[in-house]
Amino acid sequence: MAPPARSSQSSSPSQPSGKGEVSDLKSQLRQLAGSRAPGVDDSKRDLFKKVISYMTIGIDVSSLFGEMVMCSATSDVVLKKMCYLYVGNYAKVNPDLALLTINFLQRDCKDEDPMIRGLALRSLSSLRVPNLVEYLVGPLGSGLKDSNSYVRMVAVIGVLKLYHISSATCMDADFPSILKNLMINDCDTQVVANCLSTLQEIWTAEGSNSEEASRERDALLCKPLIYYLLNRIKEFSEWAQCLILELVAKYVPSGNNEIFDIMNLLEDRLQHANGALVLATIKVFLQLTLLMTDVHQQVYERIKAPLLTLVSSGSPEQSYAVLGHLHLLVMRAPMLFSSDYKHFYCQYNEPFYVKKLKLEMLTAIANESNTYEIVTELCEYAANVDVPIARESIRAVGKIALQQYDVNAIVDRLLQFLEMEKDYVTAETLVLVKDLLRKYPQWSHDCIAVVGNISSKNIQEPKAKAALIWMLGEYSQDMQDAPYILESLAENWDDEHSPEVRLHLLTALMKCFFKRPPESQKALGIALAAGVADFHQDVHDRALFYYRLLRYNISIAERVVNPPKQAVSVFADPQSSEIKDRIFDEFNSLSVLYQKPSYMFTDKEHRGPFEFSDELGNLSIEPDVSAQHVEADDEDLLLSTSEKGDVGFPLNGSSYSAPSYDSSKPLSASNTSSDLAILETSVHHQASASLAIDDLLGLGLSTTPAPAPPTLSLNPKAILDPGTFQQKWRQLPVSLSLELNVSPRGVAALTTPQALIMHMQGNSIHCIATGGQSPNFKFFFFAQKSEELSNFLVECIISTSSSKAQMKIKADDQNSSQAFSALFVTALSKFGML
Amino acid sequence: MPVAASAIYFLNLRGDVLINRLYRDDVGGNMVDAFRMHIMQTKELGTCPVRQIGGCSFLYMRISNVYIVIVVSGNANVACAFKFVVEAVALFKSYFGGAFDEDAIRNNFVLIYELLDEIMDFGYPQNLSPEILKLYITQEGVRSPFSSKPSERAVPNATLQVTGAVGWRREGLVYKKNEVFLDIVESVNLLMSSKGTVLRCDVTGKILMKCFLSGMPDLKLGLNDKIGLEKEAQLKSRPTKSGKTIELDDVTFHQCVNLTRFNSEKTVSFVPPDGEFELMKYRITEGVNFPFRVFPTIKELGRTRMEVNVKVKSAFGAKMFALGVVIKVPVPKQTAKANFQVTSGRAKYNASVDCLVWKIRKFPGQTEATMSAEVELISTMTEKMTSTKPPIQMEFQVPMFTASGLRVRFLKVWEKSGYNTVEWVRYITKAGSYEIRC
Repeated sequence: MAPPARSSQSSSPSQPSGKGEVSDLKSQLRQLAGSRAPGVDDSKRDLFKKVISYMTIGIDVSSLFGEMVMCSATSDVVLKKMCYLYVGNYAKVNPDLALLTINFLQRDCKDEDPMIRGLALRSLSSLRVPNLVEYLVGPLGSGLKDSNSYVRMVAVIGVLKLYHISSATCMDADFPSILKNLMINDCDTQVVANCLSTLQEIWTAEGSNSEEASRERDALLCKPLIYYLLNRIKEFSEWAQCLILELVAKYVPSGNNEIFDIMNLLEDRLQHANGALVLATIKVFLQLTLLMTDVHQQVYERIKAPLLTLVSSGSPEQSYAVLGHLHLLVMRAPMLFSSDYKHFYCQYNEPFYVKKLKLEMLTAIANESNTYEIVTELCEYAANVDVPIARESIRAVGKIALQQYDVNAIVDRLLQFLEMEKDYVTAETLVLVKDLLRKYPQWSHDCIAVVGNISSKNIQEPKAKAALIWMLGEYSQDMQDAPYILESLAENWDDEHSPEVRLHLLTALMKCFFKRPPESQKALGIALAAGVADFHQDVHDRALFYYRLLRYNISIAERVVNPPKQAVSVFADPQSSEIKDRIFDEFNSLSVLYQKPSYMFTDKEHRGPFEFSDELGNLSIEPDVSAQHVEADDEDLLLSTSEKGDVGFPLNGSSYSAPSYDSSKPLSASNTSSDLAILETSVHHQASASLAIDDLLGLGLSTTPAPAPPTLSLNPKAILDPGTFQQKWRQLPVSLSLELNVSPRGVAALTTPQALIMHMQGNSIHCIATGGQSPNFKFFFFAQKSEELSNFLVECIISTSSSKAQMKIKADDQNSSQAFSALFVTALSKFGML
Repeated sequence: MPVAASAIYFLNLRGDVLINRLYRDDVGGNMVDAFRMHIMQTKELGTCPVRQIGGCSFLYMRISNVYIVIVVSGNANVACAFKFVVEAVALFKSYFGGAFDEDAIRNNFVLIYELLDEIMDFGYPQNLSPEILKLYITQEGVRSPFSSKPSERAVPNATLQVTGAVGWRREGLVYKKNEVFLDIVESVNLLMSSKGTVLRCDVTGKILMKCFLSGMPDLKLGLNDKIGLEKEAQLKSRPTKSGKTIELDDVTFHQCVNLTRFNSEKTVSFVPPDGEFELMKYRITEGVNFPFRVFPTIKELGRTRMEVNVKVKSAFGAKMFALGVVIKVPVPKQTAKANFQVTSGRAKYNASVDCLVWKIRKFPGQTEATMSAEVELISTMTEKMTSTKPPIQMEFQVPMFTASGLRVRFLKVWEKSGYNTVEWVRYITKAGSYEIRC
């Protein structure tokens, strides 16, 4: 009838409007507040609708609080509800105004209509204002005794709300014991269910500080209560049934007969249309039979069909939730599912997350009887248009190969992948072939023949490139071109962005050197020189280590680099069985889908204030090169570098046994410095023996590259972790700041900021973080005095558009900052910056 | 313990909030922003419906053009949360009468808020049954001032107790004409290798029921499933009738079905809800009759030409026919054009999906149709043609046919007033994911 009706219908809540509209509403509400004219409720409704729709889209309408409360004197239920919703939303931020509502809410709590009583009580307990809890206790108490079950149902949850606002008030009013009574005696099942959830929450929360509470919590698992609930279970709503079954899953029956009784009683729940209920039932079955091995197996057989039905029905999201659980069960007992492999074949249109779980299950259940079919199917996916799935499929084939005894046919298939000539297929396959060779060295001949034909130019992915390089090094005696391929890679050292690849390249060249010295001597020289000058700490360390090892004693070096190797029998499972058991205990919850126990994602200690899950973390914290493109503040920059050190030493790890010489120890990054020191001292004694090598390699490089003036010498191997840097940067005052003009040559050189970083490192000034984008670059450098632990920190902002460089220098030792700045500027000018 | 939901959001595809309901304070108010930033605006959107951001987990699903997001702070029961969303949407639909989409939400947002208050309290699911909610949440909602009989209203739970826990049906329904409609809807999933061997095949079926019955009727449904027939024969001590029996791999029932009786007597007996509902779902893997067989041959003639021949045979009875048959044959991206010859229907090249799409409106049983196409390709140096081949996909509907062979043997209705009912049964088989590799 009225125009506002139209406008509220059409005014979409997504169009934010300004303050004008809010004040407009305010005056309209005022007009209606006192009116008793017929039809006034309709106009109120339209206005309220507007208010709620503004609230929904995030416009602050809290200024209307007074008017809304005034208008709330109505007998229209819908109006009341909207008003309650509004009040519940804003009471928390307007505690004083909330007091205004107490009156009418309390009055409504005594309304003759149970509906109104319930609604008012629900709203009253949803105000969430600590000062007002005193007004809540009375209505809650009478609500729990109300003759109408709707009101009782609301009151029970109200107790829980009260507990969350003020636990002391709730406990003092002795509500929990009233609820306990209600739970056993109330005739309405929803009231009982709400009592159960409320008590569970309260006792669990209280349990940590009071022994009595934890006793009460355990009492929820007592036999009489469990039996009482189980016997009535069919009267409960499906949601309440889930709740009860969750409780039953924790119950410890006294004997096998009891277990069978419970299972018989619940068996028909497996046929229920509600998937959540079926899963809850399955959990009970699994938990009850945990100690009865053969029955436990029968349970698996029994639940298979319902699970497979749930997976194939419902929305993809629902089937994902079930599939996650099926995945868990398959991983626990793959052999029980080995004949059902066809159920895990992927459909073309299924979403990625479903396919991925299916692939993992196919991998797990592959055994002698079905491997052929499964691998054939996986090979179909490898040719899939969907690249991530193709990758996963290839990995799956590889995993099956690693867990089987008869890998003959699989190796052939893997090698066929290499012939598909697709970059990502080749890349994944190379990684697998590498792992395969580590386990089955006897296949080297076949693999090498195919791998040898792959051009390293076509492989961009670091992992794949590293795998190829590893194979080139490991089998260089069988691969004609190996030294030459490695040489060309070494010559393009600077183009190789991944430290992992550079590390592998060093090791591969060392291996190659011992097998075919004349052909690879030059390449090794290039790689060692580039490696020692590398800005990445691990690469630098490894290069230096190899260099000194060669100088020290060639035969020992050979034993370190090329020890006789044992094939890897089993690759380590990344997840411990203890963790797996914990996840299993938390069946039917998020932990199964996350594949980690709940403490890992709910406890504060295990995650930062705003830490992202693994997959998500890549979004904001990109460790590698891309950090330079991230426009970020200083803290982010520092954060990004702290991830850089995460480069493993997968090849010379503990899986290889070196007979007399422990190869893993000196190679691990953390130990290198001490070992190097020992080596260094012995170098002098062996100097004559190793000089030849020095010349042989033609390195002409000195191990202490410090062209520092006598006044101040810097530690070329200075170490400072980003956290400390950040802390120091905050604490220290700026001791020097200067602005310099940058030469055009310097501007040109900055197209690759890496070059500057490498250069400065050569001058013992290390870069800890970089950022910004052309034309503004930002660098953080640090340096340490060589004789004492005194740090210099530099922030250097270079603008290529204005050809200016701004520097702020902070120092532990203020007196030497002048000398350092001179050193810094000299270093910059040597680069051609100034 | 099934941790309660902290908040529920309804967003449109752009990320605008349509509805938000905060149930608990343990999550911050900026949850929508977190969802938008870390899920909607990234390519993560399609990758997983369960995500952790900060300390909270986001469980989300898309229904038509709306995202429904549940935020939880603890280790929640995911299956329960998704089921809740699905049920809630079904409830909304029954209120709006039909579609659930952005417009429907905008037009009914007050009602949705009202319902959200009732179906979940402090994050715990409460009553989601449309039958009961409709008793006291009405779209009019106006209470006559000083209602003379307050005791008559809003006491659904109390009535339930009296009527013996039939939460899904109201008492006192009256229909002039008592009718029951049964729809057996099956979808066939098939995955066939290029050599014609069946890699995977199953049928998921459901029985949909529409009831317009007076009073509190008791219904009993008989199917030609093996266990049911054997049990019946055993009870009546007479030999099992010959004829086709079906082995159901698994069955689930609507909550109205008496499961105890199903387990002991293998009969499906129930007091139905009023109106439309899904009575049961089943799954069958053995003895499936495929309605169609597809024989593709694809030949590459040099770099720029391809010859595609597809023969489709219908395997169902000669008196029946399939409707809306669509066969999609994937072709390489660099396809320029295609010339077709078909024995029936129409075919064309659809560049947006890289497929030859062949449509046949009506396909009689026990016949075959062929399509042969000459495909011309733009020659490119870069990509090899044989690189990837999605499977041929097929859509169809076959009325009066069940791929499983399931039949309704009887549907009995008892009501104390003893009225006569008219029962209607329909069968239809649809293509689920019907894929043939080539």
